[in-house]
Amino acid sequence: MKIQYKELSFWEKLYLPAIVKGLSITLKHLFMWPKFTMQYPEEKPEPGPRFRGFPKLVKDKEGHPKCVACGLCAAVCPPHAITLQAEETEELSWERTPVSFEIDMGRCILCGMCEEACPVEAIVLSDTYELVINDTRKWVFEIDKLLEDWEGKETELFLKNRK
Amino acid sequence: MAETEQARTLRTEHMFLNLGPQHPGTHGVLRVVLELDGEVVVNAVPHIGYLHRGYEKIGEDRTFHQYIPYTDRLDYLAPLSNNTAYVMAVEKLLDIEVPERTKYIRVICCELARISAHLLGMGIMALDLGAFTVFLWGFREREKLYDIFEKLTGTRLTTSYMRVGGVVMDLYDGFGEDVRTFLNDFPSAVDEMEALLTRNRIWVDRCKGVGVISGEDAVQYGLTGPNLRASGVEHDLRKANPYLVYDRFDFDVPVGTNGDSLDRYLVRMEEMRQSARVVEQALNQLPAGPVNADMPKIVLPTKGKVLTSMEELIHQFKLMSQGFEPPVGEVYSAIENPKGELGFYIVSDGEPKAYRMRIRSPSMINLQAFPHMVRGGMLADAIAIIGSMDLVMGEVDK
Ligand code: SF4
Ligand code: SF4
Repeated sequence: MKIQYKELSFWEKLYLPAIVKGLSITLKHLFMWPKFTMQYPEEKPEPGPRFRGFPKLVKDKEGHPKCVACGLCAAVCPPHAITLQAEETEELSWERTPVSFEIDMGRCILCGMCEEACPVEAIVLSDTYELVINDTRKWVFEIDKLLEDWEGKETELFLKNRK
Repeated sequence: MAETEQARTLRTEHMFLNLGPQHPGTHGVLRVVLELDGEVVVNAVPHIGYLHRGYEKIGEDRTFHQYIPYTDRLDYLAPLSNNTAYVMAVEKLLDIEVPERTKYIRVICCELARISAHLLGMGIMALDLGAFTVFLWGFREREKLYDIFEKLTGTRLTTSYMRVGGVVMDLYDGFGEDVRTFLNDFPSAVDEMEALLTRNRIWVDRCKGVGVISGEDAVQYGLTGPNLRASGVEHDLRKANPYLVYDRFDFDVPVGTNGDSLDRYLVRMEEMRQSARVVEQALNQLPAGPVNADMPKIVLPTKGKVLTSMEELIHQFKLMSQGFEPPVGEVYSAIENPKGELGFYIVSDGEPKAYRMRIRSPSMINLQAFPHMVRGGMLADAIAIIGSMDLVMGEVDK
């Protein structure tokens, strides 16, 4: 399909018609409703159920981390952001639990592969997107920070999504 | 004799000018050293590497699965398309056939990515040449698409949506309606962008006859994509080598005549309309069914099964900790990306990681023709040419 381009006519070569036409279109937009722009800090976008915010660890009903420290998330993480150390435990119905679990948020690319890999749904990408850290020393999120309560996405959602 | 004497004493030195890397008209971090005689460009030497991240080398150190997020960051204006190109190369290596539904999903994703890339590309070109409004309108339309991408993949830009043998998740409920709503408003939005530019004298003066490259030269330089087609060469991988299910759709491949900046702009505008047609048809034909190939040794099991069945759990562990092992061999597979032919050449020695990962990125190769196009033009033409070539530095530097 050849694109045909007609040469500009005499009228079009005068600047004025194009300017008038352009201004009339932009003027129309001035009165268009609704406005598309979102006034960000005041209005906040609502993340959808699949949203990939920063990773969080999930707790069971008693408040223990669900993680069994299998290390799959650390193995699959493309930029190697996860470091964890396992420990044996007797208090729980399973035998392993993490003593330390760190995610380097300076490296994490929020790809969601840890969530995809975890066999017990112990790590999920939350719907938190406001992630500004000024101090580079605070980029590494320790286990306490990762286990903090947060409102939002339920782990079941992911199960539902990946039928 | 007297003339040469005069010429010698009054010789004007050529001036060297760095265009970029911080110049907004160079689309990221492209640096071009221009040799100027007055305002006429005598020569141009692009210097690249400011965004080099070693992606080909990283490909040798990550499993095929882990490499997917890296492909998002090649042409970061069309990550869905890059994902598709990459997983298709790996699938070719493994000799996997993906389900019908996935093929359609991939076509829809690629075409939506093409629309979003061209909207931004042409918006930026207009911005560089002083038409700010068009850029904002293009951005607005692209934003609507990105909302759909966010609902579909979880993020706006770094989608990582495709997987070897399928996709991460099926389309969400209501995807079809969302896309149809977008497609309904889309033609009028493109018409408006065109109304501001296509027949505007200032725009035409700045683009027409600027950066001309003949079809023959374009082929010699290895140009692909809209840049090649603007020079009148009808070559589109979607038609020439129909991958996925492109042979089932009715669409046209626009080609230009002169190979100047105006043609490159017109071709892209028309391509967006054609892509919209493809998406429409693909949505209508979209079959039901599974989205992942039934290959437990390669494709991740579903979450529900991992939690209940031992065998699936073992596969999950094997795949996530080591990855799958492809046969020994090498493949090249390419698709038509918004910027041109994006190809992956993978050499495998049987390990879960590539032995060599070569990326044929279209912008990198298109950039080589830039000095040829700009020679003899004015300094201001350089901006129009860079804009109309629609370079993305993430892909040039890799
Ligand atoms: S989201 Fe991706 S990068 Fe971040 S910790 Fe998980 S696997 Fe690693
Ligand atoms: S994959 Fe899940 S269970 Fe295993 S270490 Fe990571 S978070 Fe814990």
